[in-house]
Amino acid sequence: MSCELVERGLTAYLDRELDIDAATAIRSHLTDCMACRRLVGEREALGRLVRSAPYYAAPERLRARVSARTNRSIFPGRFVSLAAAATLLIAAGIGTTVMRLAPAVNITMVDQVVDGHVRSLMAEHLFDVESTDQHTVKPWFLGKLDFAPPVADLSSIGFPLVGGRLDYLGGQPVAALVYRRQKHTINVFVSPSKSDDPADVVRSERGFHVQHWARDGMSFWAVSDLNDAELTQFVRALQTS
Amino acid sequence: MASRLFEETVVPHLDAAFNYARWLTRNDSEAEDVVQDACVRAMRFFSSLRDNNARAWLLTIVRNSWYSRVSRRREIPESTAGDHDPVERPDDALDPEERLLQQYTVARVRSALEQLPVDFREVIVLRELEGLAYKEIAAIVRAPIGTVMSRLSRARERLFTLLTPSDSMGRLP
Repeated sequence: MSCELVERGLTAYLDRELDIDAATAIRSHLTDCMACRRLVGEREALGRLVRSAPYYAAPERLRARVSARTNRSIFPGRFVSLAAAATLLIAAGIGTTVMRLAPAVNITMVDQVVDGHVRSLMAEHLFDVESTDQHTVKPWFLGKLDFAPPVADLSSIGFPLVGGRLDYLGGQPVAALVYRRQKHTINVFVSPSKSDDPADVVRSERGFHVQHWARDGMSFWAVSDLNDAELTQFVRALQTS
Repeated sequence: MASRLFEETVVPHLDAAFNYARWLTRNDSEAEDVVQDACVRAMRFFSSLRDNNARAWLLTIVRNSWYSRVSRRREIPESTAGDHDPVERPDDALDPEERLLQQYTVARVRSALEQLPVDFREVIVLRELEGLAYKEIAAIVRAPIGTVMSRLSRARERLFTLLTPSDSMGRLP
């Protein structure tokens, strides 16, 4: 095998697209030919260098927009899920057990929480009060809500508070607290617990993770595109703060 | 449910779609528009996804969306403004000086790639950053495998020239 053949097969060889025979022939030539060995070495180094080029991850805003579209415009998905919920309601009515209502309520609530999160990212209306200081954010809600949402500072473990705003969830005003993890936004919706509050919820919806819990008479919904493990870490920290 | 299926099979490739669009357009907001167009088309033609290669399928649609935007304007967008902070993967194990050097290298590679003609740039991105096979790249860029290979080869020649300082020919980190 001549050096010319190595040169001709170089690209496919580097990309492991040659068949086994051709690759073996090149490899055996390389053991004998220093010039070709050097050429291949250079190109392998070039490949490593090129692979250090930036990989542009999709911005959160784009993800939110796509998610919103998936659910509204083209697919009748939303109607399907409403129809399913309605069926469940009817079934529950006939079947006399009210327990079967709970999942339907959850689904609607999870949906609303994700909607609220997506809306906050799309409208660029993430904050009414922008501050990393819990002692600024907490008093801001005074007089705007008839409850005082607990505001924690979790920046020491990498979840800085960035602000808060008023929002609506399930037809009632809630406090939305905004935290960040690197480039991910976490919305935490806080309102007084109600009697029909579901038990703890951990769910994924449209690529977002949602967790719900209640504590000290308050109901919490956390939502983010953050991975499950990190959101759980965040929720634990918030629960024990 | 169609929307759930779409989210499970297509949405996981949103990063790949954006990365490809960003390298095609070299512009953040335009890349976002391209990907958004592409997703709308992808939803509409979701039933045309036959095999399981959702990533290559989505990337094909991204390229079509970009191409129809460009041809509508009858030009190839060649603005060079980089208004996005990409993930440059700094290595925490490095000391500050080495990290600076690494950032410098990344900037140089990025600029060299951006200087390539778009036909060359896209095959490099699909091969080196997405790790796609020739067959997949050929389907996405609508060219025979032989053409993909020769574009890759010529693109690498150019990159080699651009990234090798003339005073130290042939030396790469």
